[in-house]
Amino acid sequence: MVQTGDWVFVLSNADTLLFGLVVTVVLTLTSLSVGFLLGFPAGAIEVYGDGVLRRVVTVAGGLLRGTPIVVILLVLFFVVSVSESAFITATVGLGLRSAAYQSQLFRGALQSVDEGQLEAARATGMGKLQAIRHVVVPQALRRSMPGFQNEFTIVLKDTSIAFAIGLAELLTQGYNLFTQSGRSTAVLEVFLVISAVYFVLTFLTNRGLDRVSDYYAIPAGENR
Amino acid sequence: MTLLRIDDVYQSYEAEQVLQGVSFDMQQGDVDVLMGPSGSGKSTMLRCINRLTEVDSGDIWLGDTHVTAPETDVNELRQDVGMVFQDFNLFAHLTALENITLGLKRVKGVHAEQARERARGHLDQVGLGDQTDAYPAELSGGQKQRVGIARALAMEPKLMLFDEPTSALDPELVGDVVAVMQDLAAGGMTMLVVSHEMGFARSAADDIHFLDNGQIVESGPPEQLFEQPEQDRTAGFLSGLQADGPQ
Ligand SMILES: Nc1ncnc2c1ncn2[C@@H]1O[C@H](COP(=O)(O)OP(=O)(O)O)[C@@H](O)[C@H]1O
Ligand SMILES: [Mg+2]
Repeated sequence: MVQTGDWVFVLSNADTLLFGLVVTVVLTLTSLSVGFLLGFPAGAIEVYGDGVLRRVVTVAGGLLRGTPIVVILLVLFFVVSVSESAFITATVGLGLRSAAYQSQLFRGALQSVDEGQLEAARATGMGKLQAIRHVVVPQALRRSMPGFQNEFTIVLKDTSIAFAIGLAELLTQGYNLFTQSGRSTAVLEVFLVISAVYFVLTFLTNRGLDRVSDYYAIPAGENR
Repeated sequence: MTLLRIDDVYQSYEAEQVLQGVSFDMQQGDVDVLMGPSGSGKSTMLRCINRLTEVDSGDIWLGDTHVTAPETDVNELRQDVGMVFQDFNLFAHLTALENITLGLKRVKGVHAEQARERARGHLDQVGLGDQTDAYPAELSGGQKQRVGIARALAMEPKLMLFDEPTSALDPELVGDVVAVMQDLAAGGMTMLVVSHEMGFARSAADDIHFLDNGQIVESGPPEQLFEQPEQDRTAGFLSGLQADGPQ
């Protein structure tokens, strides 16, 4: 049950949770960045590429999307040992998984831009890459914003799975608090605080990304 | 001077033979209109001229440029061939002005400020000097098509291709676009126009080519083709057009 003493305990250990929060936020950003840097080109390869490269991308994406994230993290950390650092391992794992989802997001967005515009750009003498970069990509990025917000939320919450490899993110820090001897009564309070923090983070970033979308929206266009 | 020479061009997609030995020439300053039933190969013919589509055999020359030679640089060739599309194909995320400056900057390497100035000039030319900052979604169909024309003109092409430029427009908007095309024709631009707009053909065309099943059935000046077609197929097609009114 909720007890005053347990709230005091949680508050007096706010710095522990704050540390976890910082790790969570940084891990979210690094993972999304890895996801974008790999996922965007991967999506483009699936649309415009051919041959072996496209095969590789398609198969790798399928594997990553089909494997539970906790398995990905455990394998990367304990089997493959990509790094001794749990943080780097978590970034790689969450980043790769996010890349696999972002590639689908961008693939759809790139395909949704009317082919005639690419043709019109080519007809003025632009090279294929130039035309894709200046005509298709700016529109595709706008159209992928709603999906990207979704992905942001998913990655933010899935950082908690780095718990499995002992990374001191928000959930792990909370867990460490109530597993201290004699403090198991604070379980509920800790989880309430952690959940509230995830909620506030999700809410704020979504509002922020809404603003970005509005700022870049095409006047009178269908994009938002 | 012969600007465009189409010599025995064949083209096919996997399943079907489209162009079957098309030949015609255009002199510099000529305005030719290509007519024919849907699916006869009109768009394909235009697309072979700027290599959006590759021919199977035959040759196309634009001035001294051997268009159909594999070693010809298509991006250079395309700067000499403006294309206007039925569905406008404007860049939806760019203003009318930016639609025009993009090619100037990225292809011709024109400096940003100078590109804007030139683009403004071309928008004035098509009667849209007051719409520089409008996005395509804010423009009417007729205005979009005029931006499309300005975008092509800005590259200073030797030849302009128009693929049914007015057939996606509401009837009341056709006039503005036709007027711009008539201005261009009067100004000496060489134009190859796929259109069933009789008014434009009568007033501006030097020659009309009637294409059916990938072959030119008959060519001639509008008076001749419209009043005294030699082929039954031409006569049949044209009488259908006139009965239905402009498309
Ligand atoms: N990209 C393509 N792939 C396969 N077939 C095509 C393609 N484009 C056109 N065709 C076919 O080629 C024929 C000629 O098409 P097109 O040149 O567009 O005719 P038109 O412009 O006279 O209506 C049509 O039967 C059409 O279905
Ligand atoms: Mg056509």
